[in-house]
Amino acid sequence: MLCADRRDLLLAGLAGAGLAVGRLRPGRAAAPIDREKVLVVAIGSDPVGLEPAANRAEPIGSEIIVNIFDPLVSWARDSDAEPQGRLAESWRVGDDGRRYSFTLREGLTFHDDTPCDAEAVRFSLERTRRLNPYMRASLDAVERFEVTGRLTLDIVLLRPVPFFLSLLAQPQSGIVSPTAVRRLGPDFASHPVGTGAFRLQSYTPDVGLTLVRNPSYFRGPSTLEFLVYRVIADASTRRLELERGEIDICQQHAQLTSLPMADIDSFRRNPEIQVIEISSQIMRQLEFNNRATGGPVTDLRVRKAIAHAVDYDGLVDGVLAGTVDRAYGPLPTTNWAFDPAMRSLAPHYDPQQSRALLAAAGYAPGALQISLYTFEGTFWAAVATFLQASLAAVGIDARIEQMEFPSLRALHVAGRFEAALDGREPWYNDPDAHITIGYLSGLAETAMTFRMPPDTALDGLILQAQTEIDPTRRKTLYGQIQARLMARVPAVYLFTNKVIVFARKEVQGLVVKSTPPLNEYWSVSKTRAYP
Amino acid sequence: MIAYALRRLIAMLPVLALVLVIVFGLTRMIPGDPAETLLGPGATTAQIDALRHELRLDRPALQQFIDYVGGLARGDLGASIKTGRTVASELAARLPATIELAFAAFALALLGGIPAGILAARRPGGPVDRTLQFLSLCGVSIPAFLLAFGLQYVFSAWLGVLPVAGRNSAFAVGEEQGGFALTRSLLTFHLTTFGDLAAHILLPATVLAAFLAATLGRFLRNTMIDTLSEDYVRTARAKGLTERAILLKHALPNAIGPSIMVLGVQFGDMLGGAILTETVFSWPGVGRYMFEAIRARDYPVIQSTTLVFALMFMLMSLAADLLSVALDPRLRQDRGRG
Repeated sequence: MLCADRRDLLLAGLAGAGLAVGRLRPGRAAAPIDREKVLVVAIGSDPVGLEPAANRAEPIGSEIIVNIFDPLVSWARDSDAEPQGRLAESWRVGDDGRRYSFTLREGLTFHDDTPCDAEAVRFSLERTRRLNPYMRASLDAVERFEVTGRLTLDIVLLRPVPFFLSLLAQPQSGIVSPTAVRRLGPDFASHPVGTGAFRLQSYTPDVGLTLVRNPSYFRGPSTLEFLVYRVIADASTRRLELERGEIDICQQHAQLTSLPMADIDSFRRNPEIQVIEISSQIMRQLEFNNRATGGPVTDLRVRKAIAHAVDYDGLVDGVLAGTVDRAYGPLPTTNWAFDPAMRSLAPHYDPQQSRALLAAAGYAPGALQISLYTFEGTFWAAVATFLQASLAAVGIDARIEQMEFPSLRALHVAGRFEAALDGREPWYNDPDAHITIGYLSGLAETAMTFRMPPDTALDGLILQAQTEIDPTRRKTLYGQIQARLMARVPAVYLFTNKVIVFARKEVQGLVVKSTPPLNEYWSVSKTRAYP
Repeated sequence: MIAYALRRLIAMLPVLALVLVIVFGLTRMIPGDPAETLLGPGATTAQIDALRHELRLDRPALQQFIDYVGGLARGDLGASIKTGRTVASELAARLPATIELAFAAFALALLGGIPAGILAARRPGGPVDRTLQFLSLCGVSIPAFLLAFGLQYVFSAWLGVLPVAGRNSAFAVGEEQGGFALTRSLLTFHLTTFGDLAAHILLPATVLAAFLAATLGRFLRNTMIDTLSEDYVRTARAKGLTERAILLKHALPNAIGPSIMVLGVQFGDMLGGAILTETVFSWPGVGRYMFEAIRARDYPVIQSTTLVFALMFMLMSLAADLLSVALDPRLRQDRGRG
């Protein structure tokens, strides 16, 4: 027989269970879904900012933005001379390079069926400039927006910005529905309304997002009914999920997720998986502290010796298994301003010359010791270890210091290093994205830059290239900048990461982009259902 | 007993305050801050400073602590630095997943640990006992991540019978995925959905349960062996009771009390394991939320999730204590006095 306390306990338990059940809402039964109509994309974590004014170039949220919103213009390929029109049907740039006159397509509507017109574009870009600190740098050059007609808009700049169209092609330049913004207020951030190929249907934190197709999309509705982003934090789990067909797509080196290097070979051998690779502008280099006032790397001969000590082909083809392309200078080969002369100017692997340069600089074998700082992770560790071995072969004793990003940033910005692995992932397609922030001496201590010392001639060229509106003259200026930088050896330019997408073989029509490395899934279809 | 429970509840307050101070101090001691982490390598110092100011991280740490404690006193856990949403709403979205996982693991631990303890105690040193002792040793010593990957490879990659990760199938578009999804699908008889959710919870719950089941089994075996040598058991045997009746009706009720206390304490270890298990299995619970918050240096989230874990640990210890008292009248007298 139960004693009084046990009965109380039992009754309390039953009461609790009853309360819990009472709070449960009836479940919603799922309609049967055709798996051919659903594309599942793995992401490493929750997005931060699902609309242009709230996203500070965070990659996962940015990829969702490019599928929900459209910008005025968009890049088809990095090497193209200029972007293609998206919401803009055409545009004209004034002779002084300060006035951009856009004409929008007829009949554009947002997901809430309100019209996307010139007034909406003005509202949207002004709002993003006001609310998004990340976009202020891009849109601060705008003096005013002039709505000149229902579908025509002029954007007048304070100064010529020859890459202004590239700035407008960023995800954060996507056009939002003014009606939805006014109606939803702060809730707009979690209920984004754009013109894009998909609408946000649901978002469950740490589980993922479901986007449903926009049936009246102006480029034609997607063949996919649903685009599902699935949060899978662990790389091994993502691999298993892809192999089992529980997800359709995951990405490598495209910021969204990163799989271990060994998995790539496994996927290449798997007939169920297709590996889609494109070259990118994601630069990786061994940076020297170019503002150091003492120490070995202030000597040009030492910097050159280190550059000649690296077996570039071994690094690209061996250690990194062809998942990267060789970099030949400050600009990646896919950038339109890349000067092909850099291929011959770039340092080549020559250990003998390296030893000779070190001897000329007064360093006997084993006498030179440097610390080599790098980010965390197996990828960076593999690169750093290879460099350490390369340097050891010419008599340089390099000690690897792998650090968490915040600590490395603090050390880098303070200039407390000799050599550090670093990278640049440009968000807009223009040489300016690599050169200005990286090498302009006035910005040397404002971010993780090459810490260039004042150089009137180089600084002048960079500032001139920033505002030169003639494309040919601009390309010549960037050629001169590249040549000057190569002579100074501010870094050992190692490689550019390829953007690699692993997709189930059923996935067709994916156009992979590299700057920024974010995919639109409007053109994707699936050939058959999974077994 | 109510007075005892109240005393214990009041005694939790200084412990929680201490946890709060320690966690607040530790988060500020980790290098880097949320603004740097949020903006990434390309950010300029000016952009970072602007965000730091916007997030009010440029104020003295003491002022931040006073504000946080003031907020807590008003029931405000603050807002996530990463997402801008309130920590309370984000925790509420994730707690059900963790609770369902913890209860599933607890149930599996009881289902595995109690029979194992009883079977092993029947013939100490026999083949069943030795086998169970070995399995229990494995359960106690195997790292959770290794067990997780092992189970994923065997049951998902190799046999293909269970999903790799997640709370439900990614292709189950349109189904409600949040809240007490498993419980709800069962109580509303959506059995297909329930089957999918149950298949997804099985592996992470097994990983979480392994340590608990092994500990429970070993502890129960030892107390059962002691109990089976008591006079009243000998008397029961002399009276001709069946072995089954002796084990289940006489020995088990007397031996289980200390094991329940152990379960309560070990629940804390299980919560610690939830951080890793939820990450490996992409389980959308508080453990993974905490893991992501630590990576992003999301101070309010780290502080609040730590408080929640500490509170859950203390409440489970108290519940185990009270349950032991309810089951053992001798303890009731002690607690009443103490």
